[in-house]
Amino acid sequence: MKDDAVHEQTQNLVQELRRGVIVLAVLSQLDQEQYGYSLMKGLEDQGLQVDQGTLYPLLRRLEEQGLLASDWRVETSRPRRYYILSEFGKEVLENMTSEWERIKTTMDNMLTNTKEIQNEAD
Amino acid sequence: MKLINLYLDEIRRHLPPRNREDILKEIRSTLMDMVEDRNPDPNQSPKEQIIKAVLKEFGSPREVAAQYGAKNYLIGPRLFPAYIQVLRIVLIVIAALNVLGIVVTIVNQPTIDTGIFDTIAEIVGGLFSSLFTGFGIVTLSFAGIERTTPEEWRVEIDQKWEPEQLLKHEDVKKVSYTGLAFEITLTLIFIALINFFLDRIGIYYLGDSGWVSEPILNDNFLRYVPWITAYSVLDIGLNLYLIRTGFWDKWASLSKILINAFKIAVNFAIILGPAVITVTTNALQNLGGFDLEITARELSRGMNFGLDVILGLAIFGLVVESLKIIYTNFIRGSGENIEIHVEKQD
Repeated sequence: MKDDAVHEQTQNLVQELRRGVIVLAVLSQLDQEQYGYSLMKGLEDQGLQVDQGTLYPLLRRLEEQGLLASDWRVETSRPRRYYILSEFGKEVLENMTSEWERIKTTMDNMLTNTKEIQNEAD
Repeated sequence: MKLINLYLDEIRRHLPPRNREDILKEIRSTLMDMVEDRNPDPNQSPKEQIIKAVLKEFGSPREVAAQYGAKNYLIGPRLFPAYIQVLRIVLIVIAALNVLGIVVTIVNQPTIDTGIFDTIAEIVGGLFSSLFTGFGIVTLSFAGIERTTPEEWRVEIDQKWEPEQLLKHEDVKKVSYTGLAFEITLTLIFIALINFFLDRIGIYYLGDSGWVSEPILNDNFLRYVPWITAYSVLDIGLNLYLIRTGFWDKWASLSKILINAFKIAVNFAIILGPAVITVTTNALQNLGGFDLEITARELSRGMNFGLDVILGLAIFGLVVESLKIIYTNFIRGSGENIEIHVEKQD
């Protein structure tokens, strides 16, 4: 019973955590143009599974915010919408990347400290 | 491909109008990519099984559409068009009634004295306060409808969602959310009117101290109020159920017929019962012109007869509607027929 609760809560929080990084992940992959499905496949191959229902609306939102540019192109008989980082998006990605590095270092430090304190306590 | 088209049609119904076609185009392109990716033999057209698996994975149309519409609206994108429509009608009616009042005042005041400006200021004030009241009632009704179809219901339904349903429901009469929301709002206003503001249904005129209304519905009408309220509440219940399911199933059809029977019975009771309208001489006097007791009596009789005719026509309409539902749902379209029909098309 308790294990179930732990599992469920972990799932919820992990999902929230992933939601935070998805934007950065998506932006990082779009320095070269890609269409939705290829982007999803690419993320999946690199170990980040993104829900279809999340990805496509997210791409639209990022485009509305001016971070991405897109256009329709017909190839192999089917039109596809290609997305690519805009100039604005590139700058934002650069800032976000350095911010990510900072967060990563901070969190790494915090988590190692906690581990050490725990080890000392044991 | 038929299944994908039906799927996209279903998503279309739930998407906000902005960028709708473009979003659908992108979903179609993605679905085709997914299907192609899983098709073992690219030279053959993909099996229906593969398409169904892809659709199942992509999610129920409502879920997909929900991802594109922003959430936490007071009134969400699904109901917003209906909201605007109802709001427009209600505000126009209120404004028209007020303008009518202004005209009546001016006509009734042959000499222009200084007091007329005060009166006009009062009327304009009244116009704004009644417009705000109308706006408030409509907005609250829609916010209520938005919240009475809770997220959990949708999730509960959609977890069971299967692509098969697209084919099954193809023949079934789908509901119009706009129409349903419209009906629910009007019914709520109607319930409020007959329960709390019955004395406001009447002849309106401008007295010395602003608007005065002379009620025309007499005490005989009061005994019908609980019954009318009851069937109105049932109507709202049915409409909420329809918003939840999205189409007319057998239960909804059966309920509609029973509610119609109930309404017919109440209408008959009113027609056969004692007169419910009384026009007092007081009201006529203030309208100016015909301040005769005989006129009032004749007018009462005329209006009662008019009401009976309206109720009679309503009964006729309800019977026709019920027969139509019985025919389409219980005689012509049984579940089996739909299955056979679908197989033939494939």
